[in-house]
Amino acid sequence: MKRFLETGNFAITEGAILAGCRFFSGYPITPATELAEAMSLRLPQVGGFYLQAEDECAAMHMCIGASLGGMKAMTATSGPGFILYADPYGWALGCETPLVVLNSGRVGPVSGITGAPGQGEFYLMRYPTQGGNFETICLAPSTAQECMAMTVEAFYLSERFRMPVSVLADQLITDGFEDISVPENDDEMKEMGLRVWPRKVCQGPEFYPYTDELDIPPVVLGHNTGGICSDWTPTVEGYDIEEVEAHHKHAYRLIYKVRNNRHLFNHLYEKKFMDDDPDLVVVSYGTPSRVVNTAVIKAREKGLKVGSLRLINLWPFPDEHFTRKTKYLSVELNWDGELVREVQRATPKDSEVHFLGTCGDLPTTPDLIEAFENLLKNEPLSRKGWVLEEW
Amino acid sequence: MEYRSSRITSKYLRSRKIPSTACSGCGLGMNHKIVVQAVDELGLEVADIVWGTSIGCAGRQTFATWKGDGFAGTHGRAYAIARGLRIALPPEKKIILTVGDGDAFGIGLMHLIHAARSNADMTVIVNDNLGYQSTGGQYGWTTPQGSHTDSSPYGMFEHNLMSEGMDVLEILKGAGATFLARHVAMDGARAVETVKRGILNRGFSLIHMPYPCPTNFGSRELGSRNQVNIYRWIEEQAAPLGQEKENTVWATGIWHDASNSRPEFHEMVHDTVEKIRRTGTL
Repeated sequence: MKRFLETGNFAITEGAILAGCRFFSGYPITPATELAEAMSLRLPQVGGFYLQAEDECAAMHMCIGASLGGMKAMTATSGPGFILYADPYGWALGCETPLVVLNSGRVGPVSGITGAPGQGEFYLMRYPTQGGNFETICLAPSTAQECMAMTVEAFYLSERFRMPVSVLADQLITDGFEDISVPENDDEMKEMGLRVWPRKVCQGPEFYPYTDELDIPPVVLGHNTGGICSDWTPTVEGYDIEEVEAHHKHAYRLIYKVRNNRHLFNHLYEKKFMDDDPDLVVVSYGTPSRVVNTAVIKAREKGLKVGSLRLINLWPFPDEHFTRKTKYLSVELNWDGELVREVQRATPKDSEVHFLGTCGDLPTTPDLIEAFENLLKNEPLSRKGWVLEEW
Repeated sequence: MEYRSSRITSKYLRSRKIPSTACSGCGLGMNHKIVVQAVDELGLEVADIVWGTSIGCAGRQTFATWKGDGFAGTHGRAYAIARGLRIALPPEKKIILTVGDGDAFGIGLMHLIHAARSNADMTVIVNDNLGYQSTGGQYGWTTPQGSHTDSSPYGMFEHNLMSEGMDVLEILKGAGATFLARHVAMDGARAVETVKRGILNRGFSLIHMPYPCPTNFGSRELGSRNQVNIYRWIEEQAAPLGQEKENTVWATGIWHDASNSRPEFHEMVHDTVEKIRRTGTL
């Protein structure tokens, strides 16, 4: 095991290499630039390829090409670049091409603030492209170390589900320096719970079977299997077809291969003080969770019955954590409230669901504790910061 | 009507997709045949080529016609996919792309320029039906000046990439393409020879091949779906390079041949990475 004081971007690079990634294409964008830089340095050292692209759309398409050629590939960006993935993301979902996509969230909309963390892409990670008729898998780490682990995991899942899997981080995690341990051999990887799935080649002739089965190898070109893939609805062999029944069966696979196999990733969450039916459950993901966890520990010391639920597997949304009727508070790095809507949907009818948002900066522990106290006393949440009259 | 396939059709193409569902009188099949004939004359096998296409008439009608491995990219993205694929595939595998004019010279032009810049080994056949015909017949970026289309009812009056003094091939030459040519679908054996040279170039080759669309372009511009009209109209405005006439829109033949003059993308990237891997530096 080697230890480093390094950034989340460094950890992601090392995770990708451990997972067998040998192709990265990206376009410079704050705060994902350092990841591209790290890849450009590290990949050639292990015989891998870094290609800078003319834009994010090309970057992800080049990754698709590399993946179609049999390589494990990854791309990374931030929100304004992620929207350019909409086109290739849909292609990769439809053709079931394994890929890993990292989004380091910053403050939006559009370019917003480049060097500050944001969580405005919660729903974008669920619906990264048009057309619907698919499920997506998204993992959200909260530390640099977890960035490495979730990158390895994303590659593992992308091969088994044969689809793009996204990792949603934010500017603080990818740019921040932390203590990172990198395993040096398979035993150490196993010890850290890191798992790797090798690339296999679909031999056909049924390249797109209409089932929810896992572990069907992806279509890889150049092996003369007769493998074909396109942006149109495929027949099982991959021919384009304009027919609703075939489309229904194809959509069934894209949706239910994920929904019916959630056991592969739905253990990815963290619970703190959740065993004694807390009166308030604080829900969060990514960096804000680190403040939430501290605040919950302190709140418990003060005798407040508060628990923390940190989501790592964001999509498909883990409804199973929200079966109990109690008070919920969603803490997010945005002002409009995104995660909170999903919590509202997943919780039992008439549950009390509250929202506490900041953006560009983390909430503070005292602010959170005050919010917990107010909610437990059935008092309204007071807003801190830039209180506008009609906010 | 019974369809009897020729030797090269049964050797290289899938019976499920040939004949295609293209409109009656469409000239795309002529271009397609020119390319497959060139492949055959070079003695290449099905396994030697990965065939990529795009969307629109040219992309969809040629998708999955190739017996071997193939893909179709979305609008304009086939070149970016092909560049990633070029890195991952062994260098001896050929990549041929059959795409349309809207795809290559409109929505995908930036990706195309970067494919040319990197001199990635691929042969791009731009099947130009003079506009966006699968969406009903709107003008494109190489539609001849003055043409009447569904989106230029008064005649196409904007500058485009085939306006006088301009040529899309000029852009690609500047971007570093190492083989560029133009033929119309009726050029037959001459075009086959050109495509063969394009495929043999270890680098980025592009052959621009205008072909007749009687259904939309012909009916709107020439007032009839009579196939002979649009075939004649294109032929009259095409002439071999050096023999251009006053009304020539498409000067045909090899436009720029710098075959094998510049390191190819796969080769350069792989050699460089190998050197860094071995020595830690360049």
